[in-house]
Amino acid sequence: MSHADPDQLAGLALDPTDGPADVRDHAATCPECAGMVAALTGVRRRTGAEALVAPPARVRARVLADVRTGDQPEPVALPVHDEQPTRRAVPLWLAAVAAALALLAGVGLGRWDTTGTEAPEAVPPPDAGTVVAAATLTALDSDADRGRASAVQSEDTFTIRVSATELGDEPGVREVWLINVDGVRMVSIGLLAAGNDGEFAVPMDLIDKGYRIVDISIEPDDGDPTHSGVSLARGELA
Amino acid sequence: MTIIPFPARSPRRYGDRVVTQPMAFEDEQDEAVRALAARLVSDDESALEEIYDRWSALVHTYALRALHDPHDAEDVTQQVFVAAWRSRHTLTPSPAALPAWLLGIARHKISDARAARARDADRTAAVVSLPGAHDGSDQSVDDDVAERLVVRQAVDELPDPRRTIMLLAFWEERSHAEIAETVGLPLGTVKSHVRRGLIKLHQQLEGVRHESR
Repeated sequence: MSHADPDQLAGLALDPTDGPADVRDHAATCPECAGMVAALTGVRRRTGAEALVAPPARVRARVLADVRTGDQPEPVALPVHDEQPTRRAVPLWLAAVAAALALLAGVGLGRWDTTGTEAPEAVPPPDAGTVVAAATLTALDSDADRGRASAVQSEDTFTIRVSATELGDEPGVREVWLINVDGVRMVSIGLLAAGNDGEFAVPMDLIDKGYRIVDISIEPDDGDPTHSGVSLARGELA
Repeated sequence: MTIIPFPARSPRRYGDRVVTQPMAFEDEQDEAVRALAARLVSDDESALEEIYDRWSALVHTYALRALHDPHDAEDVTQQVFVAAWRSRHTLTPSPAALPAWLLGIARHKISDARAARARDADRTAAVVSLPGAHDGSDQSVDDDVAERLVVRQAVDELPDPRRTIMLLAFWEERSHAEIAETVGLPLGTVKSHVRRGLIKLHQQLEGVRHESR
């Protein structure tokens, strides 16, 4: 007879008494079919391994970081739209923040002193906040105006306000980032949920650490949480 | 009040259709792996991400079994995929080439990790005069581990109901009659799935073995 059907050989590998007599006879004498039965028996013996264990997510991040830094000699993830040299001195606006904070603290202490253990009877109406730094947003490939961004200090919050214009109508969500002036680090601070305006509360030390470049990107819905590399607007808070 | 009915879903039917369908599925799967390898070779970074997502568990588990240390296994996994990217131009795309190639790189990285350990052990031994703690590693044991993991991944990638049937038959050692009752399929269909599943596992394993040579 011609060679046995693989299905029947698989049957023999699972149970040597299984299958029609002529198939068993053939497999007993034909080296090729006997080899196939032996190979399938070998596979059967290799079953039973426990489920595979995925590595922790940090390994994936490290691989991609290594690959990206290794392939491009410059560690700069995005071209930073900034011709000015990085300033080392404390910028004026930071000094203003510090002054504003000192003033607030002073006011707070004064209030505490006069009211003693009594709860303050009225909270002053929330003010619009003090703009301590501002940026003009522009397109990256030209200097076309794309709106404004400002850092606002009010009471005990620190907020980045974005009011953009002409971001285009490409599909995707618009994500707002703070890029560090070192041109390497960046952090997402949120999405422009509706329209071109948004307010994003941020920890103050983020700004202190140099995250001062406001960037608006367009993000496709691809499940990748990193910057798409496509920036619609950018400007440095100063 | 208006009641909006849910769209009626017809129950999935298993039978002859399923027996022929997986064959087409397998061809598609092979073609997809070949295309993925081709994208990697042509410098597509997103291909590396897909390759990582599909085979990092295989590589990581292999390293974990060989080195018995979660930290070292993580390091090896990282090294394997970074090395895969850097040497991507040496890969010849074929369906089994990717896992075979990754396991081949992993084998080298594991032996590097063992060599580094042995050096540390020798150094420690020289200082505190302990016998060197070589961990009696044996390549044939490693290879057997790798093959079992390849088989495990191959089963996990089978379309259902074949995957479930295979796991019940070979991992839980259930009889065909028990499986037929559990999954609600005729005994003949279950037998056919087990046989064809075994042949598929054999093909996958042979492909990896062939590419490893």
